[in-house]
Amino acid sequence: MTLFLRAYLALIVGFIFLPIVVSMAFSFNDARFPTLPLSGFTTIWYETIFADPDFWRAAKNSLIVSGCTCVIATFLGFCTAYTDYRYSFRGKSLFLAIILLPPTIPLIIIALAMLAWFSRVGMSGQVVSIIAAHTVLTAPFAMAIIRLRLSQIDESLEAAAWNLGASEWRAMREVILPFCKPAILSSLFLTAAVSFDEFTVSWFVSGLNKTLPVHVLEIVQGTIDPQVNAIGTLVFGVSITLVVISQLLIFFRLQKAAS
Amino acid sequence: MRSRLNLYALTFRLPIIVWQALFFIGPLIFVVAMSFFVVKNYRMVETFELESWAKMVSRDYVWSAYRYTLLMAGSAAALATLLAFPAAWFLAFRCSARTRQLVILFLIIPFFTSYLVRTFSWYTILAEAGVLNGAFGLFGLGPYKMLNTAFGTLTGYLTLVLPLVLILQTVTMANIDDRLIQAARNLGCSPARTIRTVILPAGKTGFVIAALFAFILSFGDFVAPFYLGGSNPPTMPILIIDTTKAGQQWPRAAVVAVMMMLTLFVIAFSAIMYAYRKRASR
Amino acid sequence: MTEPLVVLEKVEKRFDDFVAVTGADLTIGEGEFVAIMGPSGCGKTTTLRMLAGLDAPTSGEIRIAGKVMNAVAAHERDTPMVWQSLALFPFLNARENVEFGLKMRGVDAAERKTRAMNWLERMEIAEFAERNVETLSGGQRQRVALARALVTEPQLLLLDEPLSALDAHLVIRMQSVLTKLQRELGITFVYVTHSQSEAFAMADRVVIMSRGEIAQVGTPREVYRAPATRFVAEFVGRNNILPGKVAAAMGGSVTVETALGAFAVPGEAAVGADASIVVSADMMQVGGGENTIEATVISEEFVGSIVTAFLEAKDGTELKVQVQERVLADLDLTAGSTVTLGWATKDGHLLVEGT
Repeated sequence: MTLFLRAYLALIVGFIFLPIVVSMAFSFNDARFPTLPLSGFTTIWYETIFADPDFWRAAKNSLIVSGCTCVIATFLGFCTAYTDYRYSFRGKSLFLAIILLPPTIPLIIIALAMLAWFSRVGMSGQVVSIIAAHTVLTAPFAMAIIRLRLSQIDESLEAAAWNLGASEWRAMREVILPFCKPAILSSLFLTAAVSFDEFTVSWFVSGLNKTLPVHVLEIVQGTIDPQVNAIGTLVFGVSITLVVISQLLIFFRLQKAAS
Repeated sequence: MRSRLNLYALTFRLPIIVWQALFFIGPLIFVVAMSFFVVKNYRMVETFELESWAKMVSRDYVWSAYRYTLLMAGSAAALATLLAFPAAWFLAFRCSARTRQLVILFLIIPFFTSYLVRTFSWYTILAEAGVLNGAFGLFGLGPYKMLNTAFGTLTGYLTLVLPLVLILQTVTMANIDDRLIQAARNLGCSPARTIRTVILPAGKTGFVIAALFAFILSFGDFVAPFYLGGSNPPTMPILIIDTTKAGQQWPRAAVVAVMMMLTLFVIAFSAIMYAYRKRASR
Repeated sequence: MTEPLVVLEKVEKRFDDFVAVTGADLTIGEGEFVAIMGPSGCGKTTTLRMLAGLDAPTSGEIRIAGKVMNAVAAHERDTPMVWQSLALFPFLNARENVEFGLKMRGVDAAERKTRAMNWLERMEIAEFAERNVETLSGGQRQRVALARALVTEPQLLLLDEPLSALDAHLVIRMQSVLTKLQRELGITFVYVTHSQSEAFAMADRVVIMSRGEIAQVGTPREVYRAPATRFVAEFVGRNNILPGKVAAAMGGSVTVETALGAFAVPGEAAVGADASIVVSADMMQVGGGENTIEATVISEEFVGSIVTAFLEAKDGTELKVQVQERVLADLDLTAGSTVTLGWATKDGHLLVEGT
């Protein structure tokens, strides 16, 4: 029974990881159309994309977008988490809902809404439009991570700072921010990773300022092109690095607290 | 701590309200309003007319897309729930906490790989001359048609939702009070009966929420039905893309979007009511 | 005449519908060690937080050193507090924690360090100055918290059940550290606790609160020997309370008719008034006295060399007697035996109900 279940679990995990592994494997495979058995090893796809100025433009846009998104989203997430931690007021659940709701709405709807709205207010097709949209999408993650950290704080800590002569602003800088630092860093990396991968909203909103996933989307729409595997592997490398850093920050914090 | 509304408190409250109003509430309200706009001479006119609604609601292909999307997203939620359960059960009850955490950590990885690239990868795997048929060919089987079918679409949906459902189910079951299960076993319950009488009721909320997420994600996904299902027949998200990208008929796309939102609202609301309802006496 | 250091006048604090503190009148002198005690929810911590400026009074006035403090923000006061949780900053080491108050006051780094180190030395924990506070023991953390509060050399130190997280043997140690410190510094300590033993062991005066009101203010001895209300008598514990009615009154002495007989007690009250006689457990004697009651021994409790015997009178009234352990052998206090308890009339305390 246990053996059977173990095999079953392996099968499910295998299903989940099969496309990732296949994509990585074929990014180094020299067949134009990927199939088994594997043919020769090549780095031609990587060379192709590195030689493609479109790729570099998209990569640059992606870096700008995720770099700005993570800062703004983390700021918004922090403000919400702190407000939730510190204050109780009428309409608070509504306040929390407007920041936490976006992940429950299909991206395609948000994409259409953003496209229409931005063109209405004269912001269409700009990098800032993508950034604005991505902050809305990723701020809930920032909020969740930082709120979790704040739930671990000794509630007297902030009051203790006021009591020792710190104004509310000073206590924020000297106590709340240092306390939340690991969560803030973690949130920066995580929101950057989410933004770096998002394509639906970017595709609708970006206009000519394509991000990397939109670039991939456009290649995929045309033909089967193993370039996608190479880009996918690269993007995966970036994302996973960001996530691992974010997880390590949390993990080491826990280790330190435990020791 | 009391809430005193001062500059300090407002600093942490106002930016979010303004930001979300500008970039979340505004767009959402606008898309609803847009469903009542009309397009004249390739230009959208801001008005209040039921023209787009009337057009969309009277078209059969909209309703068949609606039914098909519901069916496919529902199937994906059901399939993911069933497929994940044995694995989640194994992780929750037959593995050490450490193994469980490691596997969950591992399962988070797919969230940070491009879904698009994974779908493309499935495309190359499932294609007529693709990886899977290549493998079958080695045994003299196939080729089978897997792309541009409901099977292709479901494979894509499952790629998207299976890790999430598996994680949520595992966490749900790992959090069930162990004593309940011990008690059931002591009272002579077989494992199957324990699942039915203890685990399913105790973890109801978690299972329903996991299935709901699977439904919402599949319902709104355009990548799998587009690339793996070949848009044949199209789903609601594909209708949105077609009407916006090709037809410039934004109000009609907005109608589809509002239909989707209403549907999701009703389904999410019922699911959550069901998930959190106290069990009535039976 | 200069005003006492701390004055509370008709202070009231409401949280929405909940009245946390009401009608609080209190003065605390310079160099005094005052303990505020009472059961949880009595308003003692709210009172302390109002002194620190963390909660603002709804009405009434709080003055410190002659200055009205109602509208003064917490960070503009010099009323440091030692917290129940200690509230040490986990991301700072011991020395940085102590320096915090100085840093907020703009003291330069070098002087901060010197002054912080002086305090750490004074608290005998200088060797842990650079250690992460989370790695320190309970007693060491306690000393860091004290040093952090005192480093700005305030006139008034607020303490909110600071010893409640410590082991029993450490509590005794820290009590003597605190009393010694208070005497050396000559500053005012306001100490909130629910523990009678802590309050009585350290304080010059105790304030007993109940349901938001101040029930009694007095020296530990006054509160113990002459409780002002039934609540205080019961809260202080180790008291025998015999309820009844005043049967006769004359010349500074009344007779109270109780279920266990009529007893004389010094005091004045109108005939017919509801009244109780309070006799503390250590004034009760086994064997007899001017006033006597028969009672059955239920159990004994040893604390150091003091034995408390719990007894029950024939009508079910609970009685307590404290005796020295060395005289225990002469008395027959085994459970189940019946003994005669007695007390001198002058040791009884009259408590008129409704006060």
